[in-house]
Amino acid sequence: MKVVNLLAMVDTEKCRGCKTCERICPVLAIKVENRVAVVDAERCRGCANCEQRCPDLAITMVKRDEPLVVKVDVGAVDYDRIMDICRRAKLNPEQLICYCTGTRAEEAAAAILQGAKSPEEVSFLTGARTGCKVECIQPILRLLEAAGIKPQPPKGGWQWYGRTVTVWEIPEAVKKKYASRGFYFDEDIKILDRVAAAPLQGRSDA
Amino acid sequence: MRAPITPLPPRKSQYGIDPAMVKTRVCELPGMTSVLLKELFPDLPEVIFPGPGGVEAVRKAAEAALEKIDMSRIKPEHSVNILASHHGFTLLGGEPYAEMLKTIKDVIEKRTGCKNIRLRAGVGLRFRETEEYIKRYGLDEHFNGKAIGVAPVDQGIPIETEIGTLYGIKKVYDADWIVHAHNSDVREVHFHRQVDRAVKPFGMSYARIETRSTYHQNLGPRAANFTARAIFDSPFVQSKFAFASFLTVAPNGIIGVDADNDLYALNDRVTQTGCRYYGKMMTLFGEIDECIAALDFPCPVVYVFSAGVIYANFAGANTDLYDLDMPLPAYTWYTEAFYGKRGRPLLDDIPPLNPAIKMCVHNYAWTGYPSAFFSEHIPTVVVGREQAELFNRDPQNLTYMAHAVVAEDTRAAMDFAYKATGTGKVVIFDGAMGGINVSEPLAELLLQKAPAVSRRVDEELLPKWLRQRGVIQR
Ligand code: SF4
Ligand code: SF4
Repeated sequence: MKVVNLLAMVDTEKCRGCKTCERICPVLAIKVENRVAVVDAERCRGCANCEQRCPDLAITMVKRDEPLVVKVDVGAVDYDRIMDICRRAKLNPEQLICYCTGTRAEEAAAAILQGAKSPEEVSFLTGARTGCKVECIQPILRLLEAAGIKPQPPKGGWQWYGRTVTVWEIPEAVKKKYASRGFYFDEDIKILDRVAAAPLQGRSDA
Repeated sequence: MRAPITPLPPRKSQYGIDPAMVKTRVCELPGMTSVLLKELFPDLPEVIFPGPGGVEAVRKAAEAALEKIDMSRIKPEHSVNILASHHGFTLLGGEPYAEMLKTIKDVIEKRTGCKNIRLRAGVGLRFRETEEYIKRYGLDEHFNGKAIGVAPVDQGIPIETEIGTLYGIKKVYDADWIVHAHNSDVREVHFHRQVDRAVKPFGMSYARIETRSTYHQNLGPRAANFTARAIFDSPFVQSKFAFASFLTVAPNGIIGVDADNDLYALNDRVTQTGCRYYGKMMTLFGEIDECIAALDFPCPVVYVFSAGVIYANFAGANTDLYDLDMPLPAYTWYTEAFYGKRGRPLLDDIPPLNPAIKMCVHNYAWTGYPSAFFSEHIPTVVVGREQAELFNRDPQNLTYMAHAVVAEDTRAAMDFAYKATGTGKVVIFDGAMGGINVSEPLAELLLQKAPAVSRRVDEELLPKWLRQRGVIQR
């Protein structure tokens, strides 16, 4: 869940149409049209990525008069299916996947079950990856993969390039080679497996 | 009791409030004192900065360290990227790091005749932070306009590693040679666990979001830093790596400059100083039974410094961050992720945030790092409505203020904290150089506990920490 209280505003005098903003917007809410960037106010999730990277300082973040509440209703989806996707992705449904917006794996899984087919759509529906924009791409890609979806990065964009290795996939030879240098791969697998299988608080306390 | 040490002044930045709004520093309030770190741990090394030589001492140390570096592969017609990171600019005012960067450029130019030397300065989660530093320290001029900040959302390049494809920032690697210009300050022990500390930027400030997310979400709390090693060891990065130059740092200041063509040799030296000196300070912080933590430094909440230790690590000082047998520190992103919907850890053996911190007084700290976990689990008073509003506008901190209260001024915040907690012990994270600003009762406690901590680290903990990392004790 995210309360979107900001909106990107383009200073058309300063914008030179370089498309940096278009290439990095995590929800595809800004596009260059006729050599000037245009924001889709309904799509913008107020992440400030464009404002932070525009080489011409053409973007400012302004407060929205009416904040948007962005949220997927986990209750509207069969929870067994959410659990199934999360377990396949080796995530506990209640663990956070986005530290900035407090999005949990279950909400991203629910977004996928409601039709999200790409990280952009998951971000648009849940708000995840619209805070720091850095740390949460992998769990989103893992959840999509667990649901049998293989998304393609936006064409020409820099939003994301690909899913990377997880600790379960580290080759044995690599583990062996670095075992004495302080990398605790197998021990970390144990703790992550225990977390993935841990009882759900939301359900047991309800 | 000694007078408090003058803290680092607030800095003008888009990530913090206007310095003019920081009317009172916590150390200026009655009852505050300071302890020199050398008083606590007499075996801390001698420092070159702060010192009478100023930053000139850093230049001399860098020149001396670079003398032994083989630069023969860099030809006059080549291009060189000197790679820097934001963190160096937060150490002791930032000038020492900026001076080392300038010196590296000057020495490379003089020794090799190469003129196409650029600065590429990476960031954490504040994408324009190094742009601010480049201007502040005149690096754009020194690098003839070839100094830029780079961010993890900038265009990337795939890097083939022994654990598959990872991704770096294209502009970091767009030269014939790269020079890794960093520092040995431990900073985020909760993330890197002092394993390959010297290599970390290859998986962080030089890396794309895919790689950084691998580190913080895919590999686990103790295997995380392998992303950095995998990238550094890749044939692509090895084909460009020229050498590394590090500002070497202890809790009491800059010890010198260490440079090497072999990053792993340098890394082993960094592991030694990191465990030995910072390990003592952190272990001593773990002895504090109750306190108010006051944040008063131009950095995000987690990164404010006291005696070389960041607040994020003080929040985990109830656990031994260096002990690799302990999987999850009280604070790290994996730990934060493992708190369930009822606000409790999903596993019973996940330690709580340092219960000694009875309250946090946030007098001055920046946005630009997700910090709501701290205000949610540690009672927090934020000074000034402007600061509260700044957090409310930060996409990374939309709920920070949902858990914190606002006080009109510093004095009111501290009065409230004293009354609400009943403790007179205060530790101030204000970057005081060479010492630590604290309240008198806490000064007494630290002085009393330090000798036993020092012995325990030397005799018991340090040998274990180094053994766990495969580093032979010097
Ligand atoms: S990044 Fe800035 S200059 Fe480039 S298109 Fe977007 S708004 Fe215009
Ligand atoms: S979602 Fe972020 S990057 Fe996209 S337009 Fe809004 S503020 Fe800019």
